[in-house]
This record gives sequence, C-alpha cells and structure tokens, in this order.
Amino acid sequence: MFNILSILAKYIFVFIIYMFIFLIIRMIYLDINQLSIEKNLNGAYLKLLNRLDDLQYKLKDSYSIADEITLGRSNDNDIVIKSPYVSKHHFKIVKDEREFYIEDLNSSNGTYINGERIYDARKLKKGDIIKVGELEFMFMDMN
Amino acid sequence: MKLINFKTARNLLFIFEIISLSLIFLYNWPNIEINTIYLSLGLIALVYVSNVILLKLSKGDNYIFLIVCMLMSIGIIMIYRIDPNLGIRQLQWLYIGIISFFITYIFFKFYNKWDKHFELYLAISYILFFSTLFFGLRTNGSLRWINIGGLSFQPSELIKIIFVFILACIYSGKAFSANSKFDKHKEIITLGIVYSFIAILFIQRNLGASIVFFAIYAGIQYIYTQNLKYTIYNLVLFTFGGFAGYFIFDHVRIRFITWLNPWEFIDTIGYQITQSLFAIAEGGFFGTGIGRGRPNFIPLSYNDFIFSAIIEEMGILTGIGIIMLYLIFVYRGFKIALKQEEMFYRIISIGISLLFGVQTFIIIGGVIKLIPLTGLTLPFISYGGTSIVTSFIALGFLQGASEKDLNGGSQNE
Repeated sequence: MFNILSILAKYIFVFIIYMFIFLIIRMIYLDINQLSIEKNLNGAYLKLLNRLDDLQYKLKDSYSIADEITLGRSNDNDIVIKSPYVSKHHFKIVKDEREFYIEDLNSSNGTYINGERIYDARKLKKGDIIKVGELEFMFMDMN
Repeated sequence: MKLINFKTARNLLFIFEIISLSLIFLYNWPNIEINTIYLSLGLIALVYVSNVILLKLSKGDNYIFLIVCMLMSIGIIMIYRIDPNLGIRQLQWLYIGIISFFITYIFFKFYNKWDKHFELYLAISYILFFSTLFFGLRTNGSLRWINIGGLSFQPSELIKIIFVFILACIYSGKAFSANSKFDKHKEIITLGIVYSFIAILFIQRNLGASIVFFAIYAGIQYIYTQNLKYTIYNLVLFTFGGFAGYFIFDHVRIRFITWLNPWEFIDTIGYQITQSLFAIAEGGFFGTGIGRGRPNFIPLSYNDFIFSAIIEEMGILTGIGIIMLYLIFVYRGFKIALKQEEMFYRIISIGISLLFGVQTFIIIGGVIKLIPLTGLTLPFISYGGTSIVTSFIALGFLQGASEKDLNGGSQNE
C-alpha cells in the first residue's frame, strides 16, 4: 500500500515542483516586461503604488506624461480605470511651461494630493501622492 | 480569475508540504510521537503565514523567501526520511531560522549605520577564527566547531556573512575614508585580509569555505576594482596557493585523487563519492519514490550528500528542479543589486547572492563528481543548525537590501 502511494507521490512531487518553478519564472517575466516600459520614461510620469496582483482590472506600473494626461472610467481617457470609485472623467494633469498642474474634473469621490482633497487646479511637485479611489500614484519628475 | 500570482505559488507549496508530510508519516507509522506531528504542522502554518505577512510587509523582492521555503521543504522531508531524530532537530532549527530571518530583516531595515562598523566586523571575524583554532573541536579531520555552553556551532558559517559586510565596507569606500594613506593601498590591504582568512581556513582544513571566501572576493573585486591588475594578482596568488596546498597537504591531494578516479579506492577514500554516484544512477528520471531507496548507504547523506539522496528517491527531475530554484534565487539576488542605488547595500546583495550561488555550485558539483569534493552544506536543504540559521540571516539581509531605497533608509544621511 505504501509503495503504491510513494510511487504515485513521486510523480506528483515532480509536477508540483515544476509548476512552482514555472509560476515563479512567469511572474518574474511579467515583472521584467513592466520594467522595460519603465526604462523608456524620462521626464514626468505617474508611478502606481498599489500592487498589481491585488487589482481586479488591468493597469500598468507607470504612465509617462507628455503634455496632458487624463484619468477616468470611460475609454477615451489616457488611463482607464474600471473601478466604481472612479468617475468617468476623474482628473487631468496638464503641462504648462515645465510645470505640471493637476485638476479635478468634478469627480464624485474626489482626488486627494498627499491626503488632502483638491477642488481646483494645483501645482504638482516631485513625490506627491495622488489618491483616486483605492489607487495611489506617485508623481515623478526626472527633470 | 488570474492563476499566475503569489497565492497560487503559495498554495502549491502548501499542497506539496501536506502531501509529503502525510507520506513521510505513513512511512514511519506507528513510531511517531504526537509532538512531531504538531511540530511539523506548526512549521507548515508558519511558512504559510510568513509568506502572507512578507507579501504585505515587504515592498521589495517577494520571490526569494518563497523559493527558499520550497527548497527547505524538500530538504526537511529527505532528512526526516533518512533519520527521524535528525529530522525533528532540523524542524526546530527551521523554526529558529525563520524567526531569525524576520528579526534580521526588520533590524537591517531600521538600522542605518551598517557601513560604519568596518573595524568591528574585522575584529569579530578574527576573534571567531582564532577561537576556533584554539578551542575548536576536530570532526572528520577538520577543525570547524566551537562549543559554547553545550551548544556547538561553526563560526566559519557566520564569518561568511560578516566577510560580505567587510568587503562591502571596503569597496563602497567607507572603510578607509578617514585615512588617506590606507585608502591609497586599499586593494593590497584587502588582499592581505582575504588571504589571512583563507590561510586560517586552510589550516582548519575547511577547504570548501576557503573556496567560497575566495569566490566572493574575486567576484566583488572584479566588479568594483578600479585597477584590474589586482584581479590578476588575486588569481595568480590563488592558483599558486592551490598548487602549494596540493603538494603540502595530504587532504587536498586525497580530494583530487578521489575526484579523478574514485573507483580505484571504492572501499576506502573513494567510498563516499562512489556511493553518491550509485544513488544518482539508481534514481532515474522520477526516482525510486520516498522510502523505497537506500540513501543510508551514502555516508553523511543527510548533510553534504543530501543532493544525491534526493535524486535517488525523488529523481533527477527534482534534482534539476532544485538547481533551477537556486538559479532563480541567485538571479533575484543580482536583480536586487541592480535595483539598489546605495553602493554599500548593492555590494551586500551581490556578496550574498554569490555566497549562495558558489556554495551550491561547489557542493552539487562535488557530489556529482564534476569538481573535486569539498565539504559544504547545501544552503537551506542540508541538515545543520548553524548552516540553516546563518543562511536565513543572510536571506534576511538580502530581503532588507531589496527595499532599502524605498523607505529612504540610507539616503537621509
């Protein structure tokens, strides 16, 4: 009886170990894919602080900002977030003479900068944390 | 639902542990104490909870601890199957190991002056080395244990980690910054320190450790030296030392002879390595199955030769799997180093990855007769209290180094 179980188990063990290795390599692969996107960023970008695994919807690790970037639930935004806490057009960030300004677009749940709700346009500085619903972004400016 | 995430990997590990545990208990039935069952179930729970906590706690690397848990599980099954008493002791060591991992990790994260204690590291290493020389116990011909209050441990295992810190202090430029005269000759001084370590290890007949020290030094020096001529000095010196060792010391020569042709000495000095080769051949692709092979024929099968024992009962596919796990682990270590911006922590991550990588290569290469055999433990798998605890401490440093920049720990100086 033990012999049969032992023989059966050895195949299961090999299978589990290889599944485990495959999973880890796959996760690392996805991780590296994210990294190569990040490499292209110079200038300003938004970095997502949440862990990607925890999210129910697809999102990138970071988004670079050229002249303007918008965030919201509807598909015509630059950053589309399919979350019930995000309004259709939630906020936008615009560049004006090397400075970046964030503007809340009358969202129902609000946009928070470093824990403080904003109602009109405000200048962003490096390291500011932008909170939208459950998501947190860090504003980074390389220049 | 997404299947490729940490939760799936964690659950696979959990299933693996449960199946192997029930199998091993069935094998030893009915000679099992109830305490052993509690202890092993406790460990499985601890591993699971640690992984969950670490994923929440750590913003750095999340793979290394998971990989180590897998390796450790394979190891403990094999040790318990070979010798249940050792298995129980190893279980206790693993508890201590995981707890010391968390302590080291938290301590490393919140204390920011690791690069300021160069002299202290140097002093501790020499004290440990010389106390082994004078008060050490001799086992299997080598002098590597000291006994403190009934608890014996191998100082060289601990010095490996301190050695990485010493090199990190030197090459990040923190060690001699106060004294420009020393700073000018820092390569020569480093060479002196390293070779004094290697010489002491040679006297203690701890060949494996001396090679690990050399490899860590060579690796870090090659990456960070401004003048490659010192790398060449180092290599020449090592080659010369190797030849001298071959002709002066008997035990070095024996290692070479049994490596070139162990079959001639199958009943004496070649016994261990030939038994190891028989075990590997016996295993085949999937192994004989746990409890159905004869790993007890290999001397020290629970320690240095555990890799052959695993292959005999779980197959060469598991053996290759283990090597792959170590490869990913070392790769993650280098990745941490690349991401780290502070020089000191970067060298620490490289040093610790090199430590595990080289040690694994030397012992696996040794038992499959690829290179001459030197006694070392397979990190996280072999039996041995000091080895397990120091490996987990090193892992704690690596985990800490993976997120040192994120909390701004070292940058506000």
